[in-house]
Amino acid sequence: MRASDSLWSRVEPLIARSERPSRYIDHEYGVSLDSDAPYRVVLVYPDTYELGQANQGLAILYHILNELEGVAAQRSYVPWQDLAHELRAQSIPLFSLEGCEPLGSFDLVGITLPHELACTNVLEVLDLAHIPLHSEERTLNHPLVIGGGPCAYNPEPVAPFFDAIVIGEGEDVICEVVDVHRRLRDAGTSRAAVLRALADIEGVYVPSLYAPKSDCFETMVPVTSGVPPIVLKRVVQDFDATAIALEPIMPFTEVVHDRFAVEILRGCTRGCRFCQAGMIYRPVRERSADSIVSATTTGLACTGYDEASLTSLSTTDHSQIEEILRRLNRALDDTGISISIPSQRLDAFGVDMAHLVAGGGKKGGLTFAPEAGTQRMRDIINKNVTEEDLLYAVAYAYKAGWRRCKLYFMIGLPEETDEDVIGIAHLATKAYNVAKDAVPDSQRGNVRMGISVAVFVPKSHTPFQWDGQIPPSEVDRRIELLRTSHLHRGIDFSYHDASTSYVEAALSRGSRAMAPVIERAWRNGSVFDAWTEHFSLDRWMEAARSVAFDITTAATRTVGPDEPLPWDHISCGVSKAFLLAERKRASQGVTTPDCSFTTCSACGVCPTLDVGVVLGGDSRG
Amino acid sequence: MWEWCWAAIRVAEGQFRLRINYSKAGRLRYLSHLEVVRAMERSIRRAQLPYAITRGFSPHMKIAFGPALPVGTAGMDEYLDVWTTSYIPVKEVLARLVPAVSIDLPVIAAGYVDQKATSLAAALTIGRYEVQVNTEHSLETVTAALDSLMRCGSVEVQRKGKVKTLDLNTMIAEVPKVTRCAIMDSDVLCIAFATRATDQGSLRPEVFLNAAFTEIDAIEISGLVRVGQFVETREGFVKALKSIN
Repeated sequence: MRASDSLWSRVEPLIARSERPSRYIDHEYGVSLDSDAPYRVVLVYPDTYELGQANQGLAILYHILNELEGVAAQRSYVPWQDLAHELRAQSIPLFSLEGCEPLGSFDLVGITLPHELACTNVLEVLDLAHIPLHSEERTLNHPLVIGGGPCAYNPEPVAPFFDAIVIGEGEDVICEVVDVHRRLRDAGTSRAAVLRALADIEGVYVPSLYAPKSDCFETMVPVTSGVPPIVLKRVVQDFDATAIALEPIMPFTEVVHDRFAVEILRGCTRGCRFCQAGMIYRPVRERSADSIVSATTTGLACTGYDEASLTSLSTTDHSQIEEILRRLNRALDDTGISISIPSQRLDAFGVDMAHLVAGGGKKGGLTFAPEAGTQRMRDIINKNVTEEDLLYAVAYAYKAGWRRCKLYFMIGLPEETDEDVIGIAHLATKAYNVAKDAVPDSQRGNVRMGISVAVFVPKSHTPFQWDGQIPPSEVDRRIELLRTSHLHRGIDFSYHDASTSYVEAALSRGSRAMAPVIERAWRNGSVFDAWTEHFSLDRWMEAARSVAFDITTAATRTVGPDEPLPWDHISCGVSKAFLLAERKRASQGVTTPDCSFTTCSACGVCPTLDVGVVLGGDSRG
Repeated sequence: MWEWCWAAIRVAEGQFRLRINYSKAGRLRYLSHLEVVRAMERSIRRAQLPYAITRGFSPHMKIAFGPALPVGTAGMDEYLDVWTTSYIPVKEVLARLVPAVSIDLPVIAAGYVDQKATSLAAALTIGRYEVQVNTEHSLETVTAALDSLMRCGSVEVQRKGKVKTLDLNTMIAEVPKVTRCAIMDSDVLCIAFATRATDQGSLRPEVFLNAAFTEIDAIEISGLVRVGQFVETREGFVKALKSIN
């Protein structure tokens, strides 16, 4: 669609009156706008600018789309409620940042689905953009609305709101979608025919072409021939060859993850049984040490950032991580620039790692994720770390100069008993004492340690996908048990709100029957649900009641292994048989090793997708 | 792309004090002071200037800024000092900096100043401002309101829960002048004045203007810009950076 006139002159006075105007003004260093491009895309992160700007997935797509001939991509985010109110009052549609153009004037609106609670924000975006909420209501005057990201693997709760959903890695498939849509649009093709054509692209799921089998929303089947009964995810051919955006957009305002980020590897096959990311991003593919070091130093020079982050699901597992850190520390010596690494693997954190990671300064703290308090529980969830691993890691870290550490745990995991919950308190206390012992006497007062306890949420495509979440009353009881089990007074204890986790659990395994609940919750005023101060359980419960939907059952029911699942028509390549076998091994307390370190565990990904593990170095471990 | 030369950057006291004169313009008027600070720091890194780093637990760039501008106020004559570990000719500094800044935070000039000079925040006591007034009232009415406040001699503000009286005779360095100007095909009123920071504190331009217009309805100010900053000397108002080239 043609570019519209910029809304800036109408929007500026509203922005001037709103909180944090710099969220909306665009004009960051690194931004570019091709106003004449015949095909226009807007990429939306369904939350505020501060939370969405750093999203690497969208940054990659932004970069790729802007390199395509005749295609221009812009960005948009959810305006805060003060501005949203004003936009509605004055009938001004939601606008893109770069050109301040109405979202409805674009050819394609791409909205990523980063987590379940973002669903109401998706509706907020569509409504503010004056785009009909339901795919079936849209006409040729409206853009294509495409979804993607982690929640695409169970897209059903939000399926009616999207014209198509991309499953898997978007680098290649986004170009294919744009290509198909452009040709058909220029030929004046009907909307229905466009959607049918998109369904022929591998990895693209078109919800309107599937319907529940005999009123059972748990099984979605194609309504047209030629449409695949199972949509298989896309994987890029050569991850190391994919470009790293060296000149990303530099936000002015403080955003989360405000560093130069280099994705050093994709996938993690440790196989922790609660973890969806570990299943959906397989197989493991590393970038080479050369491309990482080069991209990091060049990117820091181009951007002026004072911190670079080596991101992945499990950075310290990279086969060349020590070499990478050594080379970067040498290059950045005495510059005041530091390298950060997200959550460390406990069993890979020894003396060397502590010093390498400390590199440019020990700002902030370290995070580790033991997840469970007893070895029994850790074996059940296949988190192959021992108590010794944790205590050694903490000792090395504090000896090397770190003074703050955060430990992540979960309660409500399948097969959990009270002993396991108490075990969290005991383990944390042991770690705290080890930390204090590791520092000189004069510094013992500076030692800080915190634990953060989340509630287990069963996720699709994991061995625990059949398990229900424990009811909120039980969450409260176990948290209280933890708190009163001799948890050292000096440890900072924080935990997730049970009610958000509860709704998250219902959404995570929900079928298309949940879509009306989401819509009603949004109409009730639910927005920014991931922000604890804005989440209201009452609105969700009312929404569920109004359509006679039972959230409690959805969140807490343990499903039988032979029952159909609402995401059976979406595949990440891992077989159900493997997941079931893993669930059995869990209840026997048997662990499964990581195939990128040792032998194949036969999950099914490599033969199904014709891919394999790709390491930068010779081997891992 | 320049040669990436880390060797030039050393943790050191910083032997050279480089003063940079820049603007905060266009949409970027909506940045807060902290956001401007971060943006300029990054520009300096992108320009690969050999900035010095402070010693201590959390080493960072050794840089200092002049008086802050609030969100919504633009500035045509802003200053920062960055300490460098080696001397780079000003022409070269500008050649590197100009492409490294955002379009609406352009660099105007640069020059080296005495290491021991007073800090920018303390030295730049004089700020000249211009603002547009959106109103149906006449030029005479607006002028009269401002004159009336000046005759009154003081403005009261709330600071940390206490009421403070700011003396306009010292804190207004140049009395307000109202003129008619054409902005984008329409006729608006513009006000120009200057403030002076003293030991008693500083007078925020919006506070001064709002105090003048309390009695008048239907009057709105917009486009507040700090058009110049000066050091006050016996000879009058002097720029913080002598003109270069």
